Amino acid sequence: MNAPTDRDLILRARRGDAEAYGDLVARHQTSVFNVCYRILHNRADAEDLAQETFIRALDRLHTFDLEREFSPWIRRVAANLCLNHIESHKPSAPLDEERDEDKTQGPSEQVEVKERSEQIRSALASLPPHYRLVVELRHYQELSYDEIASELNIPLSDVKSHLFRARKLLAEKLHAPD
Amino acid sequence: MHLTDEQLNEYLDNASTERALIETHLDSCDECAARLSTLQALFVDLDSLPEVALSTNLAARFKPRPSLAPQLPRWLTLTVSLQAAAALVALIVAIPFFSVMIPQIETPSFTTWLFEIQSLWTSWLDALSNYQLPITQFPNLTTYPVELSTLFIALAIVSIFWIFGNGLLLRNQNRN
Repeated sequence: MNAPTDRDLILRARRGDAEAYGDLVARHQTSVFNVCYRILHNRADAEDLAQETFIRALDRLHTFDLEREFSPWIRRVAANLCLNHIESHKPSAPLDEERDEDKTQGPSEQVEVKERSEQIRSALASLPPHYRLVVELRHYQELSYDEIASELNIPLSDVKSHLFRARKLLAEKLHAPD
Repeated sequence: MHLTDEQLNEYLDNASTERALIETHLDSCDECAARLSTLQALFVDLDSLPEVALSTNLAARFKPRPSLAPQLPRWLTLTVSLQAAAALVALIVAIPFFSVMIPQIETPSFTTWLFEIQSLWTSWLDALSNYQLPITQFPNLTTYPVELSTLFIALAIVSIFWIFGNGLLLRNQNRN
């Protein structure tokens, strides 16, 4: 039997089927958590915000347009929640220094990957919140300039300036000569 | 004249309207080609960032808890209320017979009042047991030497078992 589509699960969840919404959460929780983790760079905050994202999404599920894909929508909800969180809270905990793992590689390569990933995460975390959000939406959610402007309700020129400055700062941090 | 940062960024984002012009310039300008390479390396870095696993399962909060008791047949669950009501009636009927077995104790006024009700109830039952139905002859009917009081006591014991049994079933349902 084929697995139910997101659309099927949403329709069932709208009728009050908690099991269906649980399945939908299980399907998207890792990508939503990673959106939050890339923006916040703190595991505890990222898990809280991911949870909050799914609670908000459940409240708004009856207004969700079934012609759209659920995954980009829920990740955008997560990104906006993270931005609101950053704007309303000062960092409550030190940034994580979690090491990313890639089990397909040998130990020495894994160490290199972990270190490089950590450098990238730290560089992202050092960006101003609006720059971080624009990088998230462009690079990880693959939105166009116009879509980002519409999503964040800012002028197209601001999207470009935030994104290009963010890249310049990241490149300086990550590709600076030793 | 070199390409601007905006031109290079838009070129990599596939948002440029002057791609041919930029490519012509890149072929002849090492400095702009190097700037483009740095930007491309950044794109590769950002794309290479692996996903991190969650430490908790967020879905568990939204899913209903799994059933602790095996699912009962529907006909049985529908009759639970009726069974409980029948068992309660049977227990009330059996109270006078239990009072015979309980030793007489000096009791407070409420208990006395209760026993008065019981004695009324007993006298009503006595009258009921002495009631003579019209005698009908069944020549081939087998008879058993069972008294009415014995039947009531048996009924009361069965009722108690039902109440306990249903209580256990309902307890599991409430947990769910």
